Amino acid sequence: MSYFNDRFFGILLIVLAVAYGWAASQFPVPFGGSEVVGPETFPHLLAVVLGVSSLYLLVRPDPDHSWPWSRTGIELIIALVVLALYAAALEPLGFIISTTLAVGTLCWRMGARPVKAYVTGAVAGVVVFLIFDFALDLPLPLGLLSFLEVG
Amino acid sequence: METLGFLIDGFGVALAPENLMFALLGAFLGTLIGALPGLGPANGVAILIPLAFTLGLRADTSLIMLTSVYAGAMYGGRISSILLNIPGDEPAMMTCLDGYPMAQKGKAAEALAISAIASFIGSLIATIGLILLAPILADFALTFGPAEYFALFLLAFATLGGITGKNPVKTVIAACLGLMIATVGIDNTGVQRYTFGVLELYEGVDFIIVIVGLFAISELLTFIEERAGKGHKTIKVNGLKLSFKDIVAILPTSLRGSVLGFIAGVLPGAGASLGSFISYTLEKKILGDKGQFGTGDPRGVAAPEAGNNGASSGALVPMLTLGVPGSGTTAVLLALLISQNITPGPLMFTQHADIVWGVIAALLIGNFLLLVLNIPLVGLFVRLLSVPPMFLLPIVTMVAFVGIYSISNTTFDLYFMVAFGFAGYILRKLEIPLVPVILGLLLGPEMEKNLRHAMDISDGDWTILWSSGLAIGLWAFAILGLVLPYIIGPILRKRMQIKTGATGD
Repeated sequence: MSYFNDRFFGILLIVLAVAYGWAASQFPVPFGGSEVVGPETFPHLLAVVLGVSSLYLLVRPDPDHSWPWSRTGIELIIALVVLALYAAALEPLGFIISTTLAVGTLCWRMGARPVKAYVTGAVAGVVVFLIFDFALDLPLPLGLLSFLEVG
Repeated sequence: METLGFLIDGFGVALAPENLMFALLGAFLGTLIGALPGLGPANGVAILIPLAFTLGLRADTSLIMLTSVYAGAMYGGRISSILLNIPGDEPAMMTCLDGYPMAQKGKAAEALAISAIASFIGSLIATIGLILLAPILADFALTFGPAEYFALFLLAFATLGGITGKNPVKTVIAACLGLMIATVGIDNTGVQRYTFGVLELYEGVDFIIVIVGLFAISELLTFIEERAGKGHKTIKVNGLKLSFKDIVAILPTSLRGSVLGFIAGVLPGAGASLGSFISYTLEKKILGDKGQFGTGDPRGVAAPEAGNNGASSGALVPMLTLGVPGSGTTAVLLALLISQNITPGPLMFTQHADIVWGVIAALLIGNFLLLVLNIPLVGLFVRLLSVPPMFLLPIVTMVAFVGIYSISNTTFDLYFMVAFGFAGYILRKLEIPLVPVILGLLLGPEMEKNLRHAMDISDGDWTILWSSGLAIGLWAFAILGLVLPYIIGPILRKRMQIKTGATGD
């Protein structure tokens, strides 16, 4: 049983607490002079509490959970990349195309057959687009498909 | 008597056609979300919040819809427990014990019907409890000063990590992280804090983005890792044969379970898991050898279901009266209130009486809707259970994207949401609870405000924070709330595991 995770995370948190607390002492004095509880007081309190509890993590860590280093880890990275690309593609490619690609890829990577996966993505994209555009009156971007726009 | 008048007005609000329609929609969607393995009520409400927001629903309508989602998800949780032996969330664990054996014996329909009836009784009794208790508590809370409020918030953090959270220190860390996110933005003296000059951060971090990221996106990532969805074999549901006598037989059990559940729900942090656990355990003790618990006793289905639904309505009491949520899902509901510019707490009962009582009345109506919806439509929900999660979760994730995108129409928020999803995944791996993070984010501004007021009153004397008897009491409870899980938590978890271990997934 190893205790690496909590110790590592504890160190990161201590760094965070110090940086957060230090940044708070750099806040300018608000207009009208300093008060008992200024903008920096509450952050300072938090930095102290976080620092102390992170120290505790170093001293008494919980046993580690296994991390998915192997193939699952790659799948996780793929999923994150897909989500980020989905956000990036939403406006230029339009909702329907980017949803087809994103949902399709996710379904596929999670174990669905590629054809079925992308069909699911396309159907989901079109249905949600229609619901939002017509029923709810909240237009979603059409992107490349904007030539389909009516009126 | 005053309460009765308010309640009648509340029915006026709840029975408005639009509100009634959204209550029905919420109940239906909630049951659906609850029934799907892996998606609990907190997830469901989190994903639907942005939608309620973008639809521009009025405060009462959106709150009514989401409370119905909440109640529906608590109902729905039992379906996958009984048919698949997979609890949708923690409180539904105890229902597996007798529900699944009943289904194996060919009594799936009976088990589903009994659990629906017990859920109904649990919610109904707890809602009545809410009606009686909430105004009293709200009146009492009006005597709170800023120091007491500060202590009360601490109590909420201390107990929300709760009995099921493993390590109290991690609860403290989670709460700190949430509070730190809450300090981002321009504070009320006009000073920029932690904005790094990024324009989007001037108004602070939008908690809806954090909630959806932490809950929905991290759920997807966790699922990919665990690959739970290799397809489930659903048990066939037989025709329903339930006599009046069968219903009478589970009545005493349901009543006891409801009351216990309600009490567990009102206690901050204890929540539905404890509710269903103690009702089941007590029932087993009371009936002793007369019951056949663990082998498909209908009372073993009724007790935890009454307990967990009682607790979920009970958890609304501290949320509505003190502005301090009693569970993860009520924390998400609290976010909705704050986003509608309603400050939850005792003043809400005077300032927004129509909303509070409208929601309570909607809860009563929702329970009847759910009962009516659940008995005939159970077949439909069962069929939906056969949709493999590998199709379902990507679609749910997309809905989360659309919801967030249509609030602001910027992709900045989407990147932010994905980042929080990844952070949520890491936190889950480290067993740092997510609910205190959300709570910190939500309560942070109020907490700081109360600290300021208290200090202004005392002219900078920090001892004001524990100067009144009430404040000391709250501090004592908060410390107890952090220490108790150390003692009770492992015992409770071990017992739940031993009980469900043989059947759990």
